Amino acid sequence: MRTTFLTIMKVNLRNRIALFWLLLFPIILSTLFNGVFGNLEDGYKVKPVPMAVVADANWSKAVGAQSLVNALNGNGATGDTARNDEGRDEADTANDPADGRRLLTVTETDSTRKAMRLLADGTAKGYLSADGGGRLVLTLSREAASASRAGTGESESGISISALSTVVDMYNRTDAMTRQTLQDNPKATTSRQFWNAVGNSANMTRETTLTNFKPDAMARYYYALLGMACLMAMSYATNAVSMVQANLSALGIRRTVAPLGRAAQLLAGFLACWLCSFVALLIALVYIRYVCDVGIGGREPAAVLAVAAASFMASSAGTLLGAVPRLSADVKSALVSAISCTLSMFTGLYGGFAMQLSDWIARNAPVLGTINPAQQVVDLFYSLMYYDGYGPFIRTCVTLLVMSAVFLAVGMAVLRRQRYEHL
Amino acid sequence: MVHGLVKRYGDLLALDYFDLDVHEGEIFGLLGPNGSGKTTAIGCILALLTYDAGTIRVFGQPMTPTNYALKRRIGIVPQNVAVFNELTVRENIDYFCSLYVPRRAEREPLVEEAIDFVGLGEFRDYRPGKLSGGLLRRLNIACGIAHKPDLIFFDEPTVAVDPQSRNAILEGIQRLNGNGSTVIYTSHYMEEVEQICDRILIMDHGRHLALGTADELKNMIDAGERISAETLDLTEETIERLRALPFVIEAAYDGRELDMRCRRGEHNLVDLLAVLRSANVNVGRLTSRPPTLNDVFLELTGKALRD
Repeated sequence: MRTTFLTIMKVNLRNRIALFWLLLFPIILSTLFNGVFGNLEDGYKVKPVPMAVVADANWSKAVGAQSLVNALNGNGATGDTARNDEGRDEADTANDPADGRRLLTVTETDSTRKAMRLLADGTAKGYLSADGGGRLVLTLSREAASASRAGTGESESGISISALSTVVDMYNRTDAMTRQTLQDNPKATTSRQFWNAVGNSANMTRETTLTNFKPDAMARYYYALLGMACLMAMSYATNAVSMVQANLSALGIRRTVAPLGRAAQLLAGFLACWLCSFVALLIALVYIRYVCDVGIGGREPAAVLAVAAASFMASSAGTLLGAVPRLSADVKSALVSAISCTLSMFTGLYGGFAMQLSDWIARNAPVLGTINPAQQVVDLFYSLMYYDGYGPFIRTCVTLLVMSAVFLAVGMAVLRRQRYEHL
Repeated sequence: MVHGLVKRYGDLLALDYFDLDVHEGEIFGLLGPNGSGKTTAIGCILALLTYDAGTIRVFGQPMTPTNYALKRRIGIVPQNVAVFNELTVRENIDYFCSLYVPRRAEREPLVEEAIDFVGLGEFRDYRPGKLSGGLLRRLNIACGIAHKPDLIFFDEPTVAVDPQSRNAILEGIQRLNGNGSTVIYTSHYMEEVEQICDRILIMDHGRHLALGTADELKNMIDAGERISAETLDLTEETIERLRALPFVIEAAYDGRELDMRCRRGEHNLVDLLAVLRSANVNVGRLTSRPPTLNDVFLELTGKALRD
């Protein structure tokens, strides 16, 4: 049995077609995803924009301007801004200068001319100055201005410049309104309510994360890809079972007449297939996690367990498919591809429409998602990423194990003591 | 060994109360055209196929799918090459030997011996995809014999093999038999069967037609000689005169060659030539040969073995 295990391992590891689908395909496709989604996400990220500040006499007169710049520069951020509403520590991202909280990196100059020079040599993308009335003026380089007009994506700082422009407008509006109110009603300076209102008017929408991990819409595609690769892993077990059946291959004849029982050969083959698909999927997972930088909620050890459960289910399903009587090995092989591609569609792998379909199924016919092994594999990683506890993950694991038990029980019932009417 | 074996595929009777008795130490030939039931009979004997009636005993024991002790004494060389394309020659032989001989230390010399036996030493690290058809057949054989079985089934092992490899295979089978293995050899190539088999069973439509040594089988039939003559000027009247000769069973003429199946006789050629001379027929090449197994089959079934 040990030799059969090792032999099927070798056969699997040298099976180029299976290796392509299990190993290369997820790596190639996730690399493509990474190329497409990575640029898309980068375009929407807020990154610090190098700006000059003309700290001249007008700047000194503009009350609050320096505080604003300090806040945008990250110097004014207090501890609580790096914590979300639930008090969950986000230290892993708070120290990142590109964490979405810092809009500027500042170079101070004492004159507009120097600031213009910084713009010209590319050190700064624009400069902030104050006019005699205390209004902030944002001057942008030609490139930065067009990036700001484009809004997103096309330039790596487009979003940041748009945001900066909005902040400066809001500052000027609030400042003008405050000055006007105080001019009209000087008593307001002593009103706490007035100053609170001024502060509130400057409040923006604040991003909070209620889930275990910051949501990543694109992660679903990678999980769906893992789901498909997992189903393609059925081919190992299907092939292994076909190679034991005398009516499907000459190899099956030779192995059936041998004095090693069918159960022992099937078990050795199953374990070898499980191990091979586990390793292949684990490599794909590691690539997706660490090369494509797709998160799994910081629960990598559980993700390894997820891969073990998923590959066990794939090997069980492959065993069942391999046991189906009256189908040739080639037909079974084609069925593996057909089933994998079809079920993957319902996980959303094939783009927007498929994602909508997947969501529709989740909302309106959840039982279809429950019996779709590819969807269950996706849910394994999904539950790791989004849920605070391990409950949903464990439930999905149990679903997969129940599926596996059913597949194996039916497969073994068909294969057990099988003798043939025809060869 | 096999008695009254009946196997049906739906309405088709593949084995019709088939009997087989193989003696230990012999090379036993199962000869029959394609579809005659040879492979089906082997499938039943090896407990691969279910059957409808009959008994099968090997080395005195009933053959069942779980009689592993008995299976350990049997080797099979299937009709189609049965090896893993992903494994090398050595790995393939080692794996199939491991199904019979689990202990590695015990197995290794057997594997080396099998590699030497089939002459694949220089190809030991090749994968099957790089081997020629003849070498593949040799690998197929090595995988079936490495564990030194007492009984080996060769199911048409020379199909689609070049003459050189065919001779090597046949010599190998004779050597295996010389080493003490009993061999059951199926083929539709009568020359091979005649060349290596001690006894031959001719079968067709799942039925046992005749059993004996090659000479015994040839003696069972009327035809004792086959005479062929190249001639271009044979008339219908002369052909009729030839057919009227008492030793002629059948005479056919295609405009170039006269072919006659004749009974045994000491003066067949002389009498034939006398008729041809009297009719002023010019004869080119004239040959006479003893009957073959094909003639036996032809007489038993009314059709040639390769039809």
